[in-house]
Amino acid sequence: MNLSGKNVIVTGGVRGLGRAIVNKLVGKGALITVFDLDKVGLTNLHEDQPEVNCLLCDISDYEQVVKATDTYHEEHGSATVLINNAGILHSEPLLRLTQTGLERHQVASWNRVLAADLSSVFFMTACVVEKMVSSRTKGVVVNISSVSAAGNVGQSAYSAAKAGVNALTAVWAKELGPMGIRSIAVAPGFTETESTKRAVSEAVLSETVKRVPLRRLAKPDEIAQGVISVIENDFFNGKVFQLDGGLIL
Amino acid sequence: MDWKEIAYMDGKVENILAEVLQISITMVSDGLSMKDINTWDSLKHMELIVTLEQNFGIEFTFDDIVAMQSVREIKRVLRERSNVS
Repeated sequence: MNLSGKNVIVTGGVRGLGRAIVNKLVGKGALITVFDLDKVGLTNLHEDQPEVNCLLCDISDYEQVVKATDTYHEEHGSATVLINNAGILHSEPLLRLTQTGLERHQVASWNRVLAADLSSVFFMTACVVEKMVSSRTKGVVVNISSVSAAGNVGQSAYSAAKAGVNALTAVWAKELGPMGIRSIAVAPGFTETESTKRAVSEAVLSETVKRVPLRRLAKPDEIAQGVISVIENDFFNGKVFQLDGGLIL
Repeated sequence: MDWKEIAYMDGKVENILAEVLQISITMVSDGLSMKDINTWDSLKHMELIVTLEQNFGIEFTFDDIVAMQSVREIKRVLRERSNVS
């Protein structure tokens, strides 16, 4: 697929990996719209890159997704590419030892992570692909997964959400493939972003780096390049593209 | 297009339906519709549409796809698309 002139939606494109993906897409001449819940961030993004359209939306809220995608479709027609990048990185063990005994994983944080990292992908894809199918638009859904989908210690909710994302990727490849819509996932290893620094301790990151054969974290730009590569390759479908520096072998 | 070509097209449609829906060709009649066969669900319908598109070298509109929920309607849409009266 040649991305020039194609309608592309990026969720969570204000910062981090999402912003790196947006920058790559700008270079490819895509017509980009960012869905994000950070109002100030969207304003700054649009000021920095006026060619990027911005829509304020909490994609973990189905009603907001319906409204925002309706607005998008009225203004731009069908998207050709949807990049489900938005999400939150959260670390919390199933059981935490405290001075008074054991404390269970918070249900509130479980629900919050599943809503932000899994339900949001389902909501966005259902609304965007509905328009793609009804307008017979061939295209791609890219889900940003994680190596955590294999099961990371201390990340019950995040790992479960990302494993769910991988499953959805396979389901949609089978369901939508005949209509010319590919579904793919990109699973980064630990990446140099603010969200990684916030959610993962220095000690864990240091230990992780020792297990990566390349002995470093990924740069957001490297992951973004991987996303572009799988979009452009028209035969890549239904698979998870691991970009982890060899962490999982 | 004469009646022979129409008959050929109809026969081809019936063969495709039987193959995609995995039913006997004898079950395929103009009155057969999605609601009559369990295997003809929305996913199978899309597979059927794509198979018809590949075999006849055309692309249906979404309105066509929604309308083509019976053998009779499939044949009607195909004839319209092929400019057959």
